[in-house]
Order: sequence, then structure tokens, then C-alpha cells
Amino acid sequence: MNRGRSITTRLIALLTLCAAVIIGVGMLVDFHLSRKALLASLQRESDETIRSVIVDMEQWLEGVKSSTLLLARVIQQREYSESGLEQILRDSVEVNPDILGAAIALAPDQTSTELGFAPYYFRKGGQLHYNSLAGSEHNYQQQAWFLDAVSAGGPLWVEPYYDAAGAEVLMTTYAVPVYREDPAGRRFLYAVVTADVALAELHDNLQRLGLGRSGFGILLSRSGVILSGRNPANIMRHYSDKFSSEQDLATWQGMFDAALQGQVVSQQLSCIDGPGQCVMRLGSLQSTGWPVGVMYSEDEMTAPLRKFQLKTGLIGFFTLLLMAAAVIIVTRRLTRPLSALALASDRIAQGDLEAPLPVASGNDEVARLIQSFAAMKRDLKSYIADLEAATARRSRLEGELSAARDIQMAMLPPGGDAVMPDENCQLWARVLPARSVGGDLYYYQRRGRVLFIAVGDVSDKGVPAALFMARAISLIQQLAVTADNPGVAMATLNDALASGNDNCMFVTLFLGVLNLDSLELQYGSAGHTAPSLLRGGAINSLVQAQGPAMGLASKLSFPVNSLQLQPGDRLAVFTDGVDEAFNQEVEMFGLGRCNETLLASRTLPPAIAGADLFERLATFAGSRPQSDDIGLVLLDIAGNGETPLKAGGEFSRGPGLTSRVEKWLHEELAPLALPDEVLGELSLVVEEIVSNVDKYAGLHKDASIALSAQANKREVEIEIRDAGLAFNPLEEAQRANLGAPIENAEIGGMGVHLITALTDRQSYRRGDGCNILRITKLLIKQPD
Amino acid sequence: MELTTTVTVDEENSVARVALKGALNTDTAPGFEKRMQEVMKGGHQLTVLDMKDLDYISSAGLRVIFKAAKEANAAGLRMAAANRKPHIDKVFEILKALPDMAVFANEQELDDYLDAMQEAARE
Repeated sequence: MNRGRSITTRLIALLTLCAAVIIGVGMLVDFHLSRKALLASLQRESDETIRSVIVDMEQWLEGVKSSTLLLARVIQQREYSESGLEQILRDSVEVNPDILGAAIALAPDQTSTELGFAPYYFRKGGQLHYNSLAGSEHNYQQQAWFLDAVSAGGPLWVEPYYDAAGAEVLMTTYAVPVYREDPAGRRFLYAVVTADVALAELHDNLQRLGLGRSGFGILLSRSGVILSGRNPANIMRHYSDKFSSEQDLATWQGMFDAALQGQVVSQQLSCIDGPGQCVMRLGSLQSTGWPVGVMYSEDEMTAPLRKFQLKTGLIGFFTLLLMAAAVIIVTRRLTRPLSALALASDRIAQGDLEAPLPVASGNDEVARLIQSFAAMKRDLKSYIADLEAATARRSRLEGELSAARDIQMAMLPPGGDAVMPDENCQLWARVLPARSVGGDLYYYQRRGRVLFIAVGDVSDKGVPAALFMARAISLIQQLAVTADNPGVAMATLNDALASGNDNCMFVTLFLGVLNLDSLELQYGSAGHTAPSLLRGGAINSLVQAQGPAMGLASKLSFPVNSLQLQPGDRLAVFTDGVDEAFNQEVEMFGLGRCNETLLASRTLPPAIAGADLFERLATFAGSRPQSDDIGLVLLDIAGNGETPLKAGGEFSRGPGLTSRVEKWLHEELAPLALPDEVLGELSLVVEEIVSNVDKYAGLHKDASIALSAQANKREVEIEIRDAGLAFNPLEEAQRANLGAPIENAEIGGMGVHLITALTDRQSYRRGDGCNILRITKLLIKQPD
Repeated sequence: MELTTTVTVDEENSVARVALKGALNTDTAPGFEKRMQEVMKGGHQLTVLDMKDLDYISSAGLRVIFKAAKEANAAGLRMAAANRKPHIDKVFEILKALPDMAVFANEQELDDYLDAMQEAARE
């Protein structure tokens, strides 16, 4: 079995591939949707965080701002002593924990003190401390917050600075100038009220914006000084110091400007601390106008997504593995009976009908297939058993038929192929049934100088005809003993056959009585084909008076014909199997062909002429089965004083073979007194044939070659018979190319030229396992 | 029938004369072939096969003659047949396989040929 192409392998591969595609597509869709959802939730989360931080910070700064504005309003409208101002300032700081420190700095012309009046309360180490900002060391009138507030003419957030006079921390200050009106309605500066906010606190507050490990909040002053960032060391430095790249700086500049104008912008840029891309969102605080934002690494934000992606991938992979395993198990389970079935059917095909089939469970297609196979096996077994029985019956029947044939042939005088020599005549007869047994018959018997001859043909063929033939021939044998008159004999035979013949079988019959001395033939014909008479080189069908076929009715009479035979005559009596033989084209052999053949062989001995006709019929029929039984009797009347010469001899192989043959030939042909030339040519031809047979027929060294010669005054015929390899020298021999160098000639190729040149007729046939080559040399040349 | 072969050699003219008597057939051909080989060893300019008394020849015998004639030609020697009887002639004709050899109908033709040969040798 080719595993690479088995259904199992293909199923596993296909199903696994399908599962992989389905799982893969599902995971991709899931991943895509999850990513979208995750990113959206991240966005929402960061937006909310930012908003809440900003809101907190706004509230806080707003708180600082509003309490400072309240204090400024109180001072503007009420007149306090200097100690009263100190007291209200202390209360204000004490109740407002968001404020790091606060000061009330009177304008220089509003105090009697030379250096001015500027009390300052601040928190340090959890305690509230007091300091006066009026002094040569920290003259408040020179401080940026005082000067900026005065020059601005309204409240403002001062740029961050380091406070050396109090808390000694980085801070920024909300400064509110307080103006009063004199009685004349003129506005004048009375004081500047401030509240400080520690940058550290802003920073702490802002860093709640931490998004991820590397995300951080950023707060800038309006002038671009970093108030809070990831690295505390950067605080108080200008943002532009941070960038080495022109491009990043330009991006920052743009965002910063946009934020100052109150827009919220988002940009992607390379992370400040660390690799990868970061996202920067920048807006501004409403209360102070400070740009505030958050920066976070996108990679970090999407890290959970990647984790999710990996997890999904792994799950998918393991699912696929499990799926493949399941497919393999299921497929194997499904196809195991199929493989077993394939093996079993191979064994059945090799004839092993006992090969066990796999067990069929359930009622699926495979189970049904197995059941069909089992049924087929069962049927096949019984069919083979039937066939064996039928074959046995048939061979028994054939055996019986063969025995029947032997018995039937034994009924014909010597076994269906007879030769009866006599000094005055020669008889040859043969019957060839179309099937094992048949209905053609012949019989002859000599009583003194009377020869009784019968040739018959029973209607139909096969076993029924054979049985009737047996009956007929038994009766004929009885009649032959006494019959003198064919007519009386035939009437008697007819009555005997007609009695008890309910099946209406019948026989056509030629029955003749020949006087061997006077050569007068008296014969009757019961519906039998007229015999042919060869006389003086011509052939004619006899004109005869004939009676009906025998066996159909009793008390019939049969006319008698009389024919005076002459020396040299040949009478051919045959059954209709001869002239009514058919070939493949359903063409009938016909009386014409029959007579032609007999005429052509008229000079041959009856045995050879008869065999020739049978051969001719076999050739004519070709592959078409013999249609009817064939029977033929040839009766030769010896010529005037001419006794045909007949001789035969067997020649063993070995030294002097051709000399022995030549000697035999010369001796046998001596009575003919042939001219030397003719005898020499015959010797030459026979020698060529015999030496070729001796050399090339592949005969055993002890085998022999049979020769027979027949001659009359007209011709000499010699037959050479050997049991060697089948070979027709007249057709198969490679004739030597005449005139070419002799050593190139094929084996025996020269002899064939001599054989055909020096004889008048040549024929070859293969019969009885022998090559039979027959050559005829005419002694009296017929004019062409 | 037996074959009798009589060889007479005319050393002066370098002519070997092989007279065949009887039948040259399958049985006698092998013996004749040996005999011819011996004669050919003599290297005579001309070998004449005298068939005056040859009654019979078969293809086996012809084969021997042709083979000898071919060998003679190859060696630059000549072979001739003389006095063929009509039926021997007929066999030669049927096979149309006359080797390159001179054919003399009778003694006179042969003698004339020998004379011509001698004259040619003298010149």
C-alpha cells in the first residue's frame, strides 16, 4: 500500500489544514477585535486619569488663588494695624494647608518702617514659621513677584524660583496687587498679597499621572520652564535644553505654542528616556495657563495586548495540535476496516476465499461495504463449487461421449478409416462426425466375387443420429450377408427401420452390389446424394433413379440402378456433409468444388485422394465448426492389366542414408523401366529432400525417415514422411538466391530449386506429428 | 552409388585433371571435398574436373565444386569443368550458379584451351 497516498494520510492532512485555517482566521478576527477594544479602553483610561489629575490640580490651585484673592479683598477694604495684618496672614496660612507660605507686602509708601513692611508665614518641617521679608538681605521690593505683580497691575502666577528667604524650596507664587482709592478717588497701590505653592507638591500631584512604567506627567511654566517631569533633576530647566534633535525640538515647540493657546494636542515622538515611540498629549491648566501633559510609551501601553496575542497564539497552537491528534485517531479508526478490507480482497483475488474479513460493526458505509464483500465471498464460493461440479459433470459426459465415439467408430469397418485392397479394385472409406458421435455410416463386405457397399447419412447429428445409425448399421450388417438385389435389401431395411421409429428419424442410403468379375454395379439410392464417377480424366455425377429416405414409412420400394464400371474408373460415394460444408462466409462447398477436387486427385491412390478431399474441406471451413458429419467412400477399379505400383520403406539415419534411399528407389521403380534421365532426376530430388530432413529436421539419431512410392504409367508419386520439427520446405525455406555466391545460400536453399524444377507437383502437409512432403513427376507430359 | 576420383597431374603445364566417375551426392561429397583440397594444395594453374563418367550430382556435390572454384580464384588459379552430361548440365542450369570457371563441352575444347594457355606462357 502506498502510505503517502492513502485515504488516511490525505484525510489527516486535509482536516488538519482545514482546522488550522479555521482556528487561524478565528484568532485573527478575535485578535483584531480585542486589540481595538483594548486600545479604546486604554485611551479612555488615560483620558480619565489625565482629566482627574488636572481637575484635582485645578481645584487645588483655584483654592490657593481664591483664598489669596479673599485675603487681598479683606485688606483692601479694611484698615488693619501692622500686627493685625500679621495676625490675619498667620490665620490665613494656618487654615489653608494647600498654601506653603503667604506674605503681605505693603507698598513702600504705606508704612512708616524704613525698609517697608512684609510679614511672611511659611511651612517648614510641619511647623509654621515667620520671617520678615523687609530687610536689606531679601528686600521684597526688589523681588520678581513684587515687581511683576505691580507692573502687571493684577493677579498673576510668578515664574517659579528658589525661595531663599523662607522655606528654601522651589516654588511659584500667586501674587495679587491690592489697590485702594484716596478720598480724591485716586487709585494707589497699597500692598501685594502672595501665596506660595511648592513645586515639589505640584510635582507629586502631577506624577499621579503615571501611565505604565515609563509614563509620566509634565508641567511647564508659561515661559517653558519644566515644573514637573519624570526626572526631578530637570525641574527649573527650560524644555529646549532637553532636546538634541532639531526635529523633536520643532515638534515640541509647536505643541507648546498650541497648548499655550488652550488647545489639546497629541503627537508621536521618540521617547525621551528610553527606546521606542512615545505619545505626548499636551493641554493647559485653566487657572494658570501652564502647559500640562502626559507622555507614555505606546509599546508599554500595548504590552498587555501583545501578551494577549501571545496567549491566543499559544492556545491556538495547542488547540491545533489536539485537533490534529483527534483527526488522526478518528481517521485511523474509520479507515482501519478499509485497510483490512483491501488486504482481504487482495487475498480473495489470489484465490484465498477463506481470507477473514474485518468485523463490520454498526451500519455505516464501511460496514455495508464489508457486508457486501462477505456476500460476494459467499456467492463466489458457491459459484466456484457449482462450477467445479458442472466441470466434473461435463468431463464425465465428455468421457462418455468419447467412449461412445470409440464404440461408434468400431461399428464401421476398421474404425472409420478403411482400405480394402483387391486385385480388381481398391476401396477406401472414412467418416468424420461433426460432433463426438454422428450419423454418417458406411459398410462393405466381400462375399466371394461380390462386394457389398453401403453409405448412409442419418438425419440430424450428434447422439440421436448416432443411436439411429447404430441401429441402421446393425441391420445393414445382417442384410449384407444375403443381399443380392439392392432393391429388395433396401425395402427390407426400410421396413425394419420404420418399425418403432416414433421419432421419425430417417436415413438416406446408397446401397450397391458390385460383381468383381463383370464389374457391374447394381445400386439403389434412398434419397442419397448421387455418387460421382471419374472416368477417362472426367468426372460426372451419376444420374440415378432414387427412392425415398428410409425409416419414415414401411412397405416402400426402391428402384435399382445398374452401372457398368470399367478398368481405371473411380467411384466416389459421399454424404451431404461434403457438398454442404460451409465456410466462414456461409458459402457452401458445393458439388462443383467436390468434383473438382476429386478430379485433381484422380491419379493419386484413393487413400491420398480421399485424405486430400477431407483436407480441402477443413481448409474451406476455416475456423467455422464442421456443420455436418462427413462420409466418403472411394472405389477404384484397377486399370487394364495395369497394377498400380506401391512401395514403402523406412530408412534409419546414419551412414550411407542417401545411397540406401537411392538403391531402394531404383529397385522399386525398376518395373516401370523409366528412362535414366527421369530416374536420375527422381533420385536427385529424393536425395535432396532426404539429406535436408536428415540434417535439419532435428530428428533423434535413432529415428527414421519413411518413404513411399506409388506409380503407374502416367506418373510417379513419392511421399517423404518424418517426425521432425514442423517445417514446410516449399514455403518456409529461404531459397538460395540463384547466381549469388553459393556459400551465402540458406540451408537447403539450393535443394528446393532442384525439387521444384525437377518435379511437376509438390505438396506439403503436417499430420500425425509428421512432415509429409509429396512430390509427383509426370511420366507422360501433358500438353499445356 | 560410389564415386571414383582419378587425379592425373601434368606438371609441365601445371594442370591437374580430376576425373569423376559415379555419383557425387550427399554421401560421397565429403570424401570428394577432401580429395579436392589435396589436389588444390598442388597449386596447379588449372584444375580440370572431367565429368565424362559422372552420372549424378546433387546440391551437396555442387557445393563442393563451387567452394573449390572460389578458393582457386582467390589463389589466382583457374578451375574448369569438362564433358558434362546433359542431365548434369541441367542441374547446373537450374541452380544458375555457375562459378567463375571455364566449361568445356568435350576433349577437343579442353585441348585447344590448354594449347592456348601454353602459347600464352611461352610468349
